[in-house]
Amino acid sequence: MTEHVIETMMLTKKYGDLTAVDQLNMTIDEGEIFGFLGPNGAGKTTTILMLMGLSVPTSGTALVAGYDIVEQSREIRKVASILPEYSSVYGDLTAYENLDYVGRLNDLTKDERKEMIPEMLEIVGMSDWGDSKAESFSRGMKQRVVIAAALIKEPKVVFLDEPTLGLDPVGTREIRELILRLNKEQDLTVVLTSHILPEIQMTCSRVGIINKGRLVVTETIENLTRAMTGSEDRRVEFRLSEVPSGLIGDLESIEGVKSVTEENDRLYVYGSVDSDYEVSKTITGHGAVILLMRPREYTLEEIFMKYYEEG
Amino acid sequence: MAGTFTVAQKELRDQFGSKRFMILFGLVLLLSSLAAYQGVDFIRDNENAGFVYIFSGTQMSFSFIQTMVYFGPLLGLALGFDAINKERANGTLSILLGQPIFRDSVINGKFLAGAAALTTLVVGTVGIMSGLAIPMLGFGPTMTEASKIVVLTLLTIVYLVFWMCLGILYSVLTKRTSTSIMASIATWLTFAIVISILASVVSGFLVPLPGGSIRIRVQEGQGGPGGFQISEEYMAAMQKRSALMTTIQKLSPTNLYQEAASDILGVFRGLMGGRGFQEFQRTLTLTEALAANWANIAAIVVGLVICFAGSYMMFLRSEIRPGE
Repeated sequence: MTEHVIETMMLTKKYGDLTAVDQLNMTIDEGEIFGFLGPNGAGKTTTILMLMGLSVPTSGTALVAGYDIVEQSREIRKVASILPEYSSVYGDLTAYENLDYVGRLNDLTKDERKEMIPEMLEIVGMSDWGDSKAESFSRGMKQRVVIAAALIKEPKVVFLDEPTLGLDPVGTREIRELILRLNKEQDLTVVLTSHILPEIQMTCSRVGIINKGRLVVTETIENLTRAMTGSEDRRVEFRLSEVPSGLIGDLESIEGVKSVTEENDRLYVYGSVDSDYEVSKTITGHGAVILLMRPREYTLEEIFMKYYEEG
Repeated sequence: MAGTFTVAQKELRDQFGSKRFMILFGLVLLLSSLAAYQGVDFIRDNENAGFVYIFSGTQMSFSFIQTMVYFGPLLGLALGFDAINKERANGTLSILLGQPIFRDSVINGKFLAGAAALTTLVVGTVGIMSGLAIPMLGFGPTMTEASKIVVLTLLTIVYLVFWMCLGILYSVLTKRTSTSIMASIATWLTFAIVISILASVVSGFLVPLPGGSIRIRVQEGQGGPGGFQISEEYMAAMQKRSALMTTIQKLSPTNLYQEAASDILGVFRGLMGGRGFQEFQRTLTLTEALAANWANIAAIVVGLVICFAGSYMMFLRSEIRPGE
């Protein structure tokens, strides 16, 4: 059994009448990249702030790396880092000075800081900019310094709240690769929130979907996809030269095929893997030419929308 | 205390490196140096005037105390008004608080740094003024005068720190620096200018002057050269009005400071100091001055403590909301 790095117990946060997080129970394992999904205002950021001890839960509690978030929040901040949404660095300090300040606040000695800071700048690709004032940096560069600041304490857990918000595609990819690398090399547990679903799909091993403060589901992405399709069935996308009348009816009567839908110029056939041969044969038998045939997995967006609607 | 000194160190570096601080320090130094020159002039012309006139100034000149009365609020508020909300707005607060420090380290560190910056400013100004005056006069303060100057310096620091704490309170209460800067400017104008206008309007309203001619004719040979004299009734009303004005102005920390500071230097002028209508001048010893002004000094200290305690508690209880 893997160790739970994070375990929340009936974690609840209310702002006046608004319940931002409602009796949240979830666990995150060591070494996981956990994607935290939910529409705006679902309670993702509030949860992360509570887990870092920056916000006090109204009721319930949680353990992060074995420490209680209410009683021992300072201990948590020694082993966990946060990259808050819309966070930034001190513009009047250089990148190096920004990291130095964070290093001091983490009680790193002068020697440790001298060693760590250039290393961190290197990791985030900011070595050439160490002595430039942060106010001259682009959004992406600032974000990298913030990430470096989050890593300087060599955390066990990092909370990344929308880490790629406002970054260009290149920056987004670099940060994604950085997260994956740190996870692999240092066994860093990463809790990631993002609105960019393909990004979550590419990075995370497991996702938790939260809506209106309640946890709707936590599952691996494969299992979620499987649950959507039902058993071992899958969906195959076709593009045909034409859709002769009667084809859909004939396809539906094939054994193993569950349903056939037509959307725009595409035809989607839901069924077992074994039915592919019969399906292709039937189509060509009707005189249509197959221009494209590919299995189509559910995108996270579709999964996401389904759970949003349910929540 | 974890992190307090780290925060204080960083904040102090920010303060000393900021143009804002340099401009204000420059302004205070300029005014104070001018006051020192005028003081030196006055001392040269008046044999019994002591060294402390450098700071108290003369009736017609601008003094160190007056500089602090008018610019003190601005100085203090300028160092405090964006302490917390700037970090909130810039998104650095959540990073700062994400470090293994206690939350009070942030506000304590900022307080210490601001207090240290103001101490430097006051001690530097007093030092430079003395440094200018001593060579020109050829003599320095006596021990008694030196102790008065030390006490004045301490009082000035406390007074400026009070304004800084009020600024910090604004920075905790408001989300945006543009709001807290407006609140600070409004406060400064209120206590530097508006309060005396207000005092004059209110006392004029509450103590109407007697009707009729304000002057009575004095017959020749009746104890005067004849001509006109202001009526006693009118004099009484004016004195009452003046006393009321003083009371209203006492509400202002600037006035509390002015009274206490003038008394400490022992150069007390009735008309300017605002005790009674007639002008008089007397010298108080330091003990007498402190005894007479303990309430003023206590009021400034209490104000400081209230402002700091208020900001401290509000900040500790404030939530870090998403997006800060």
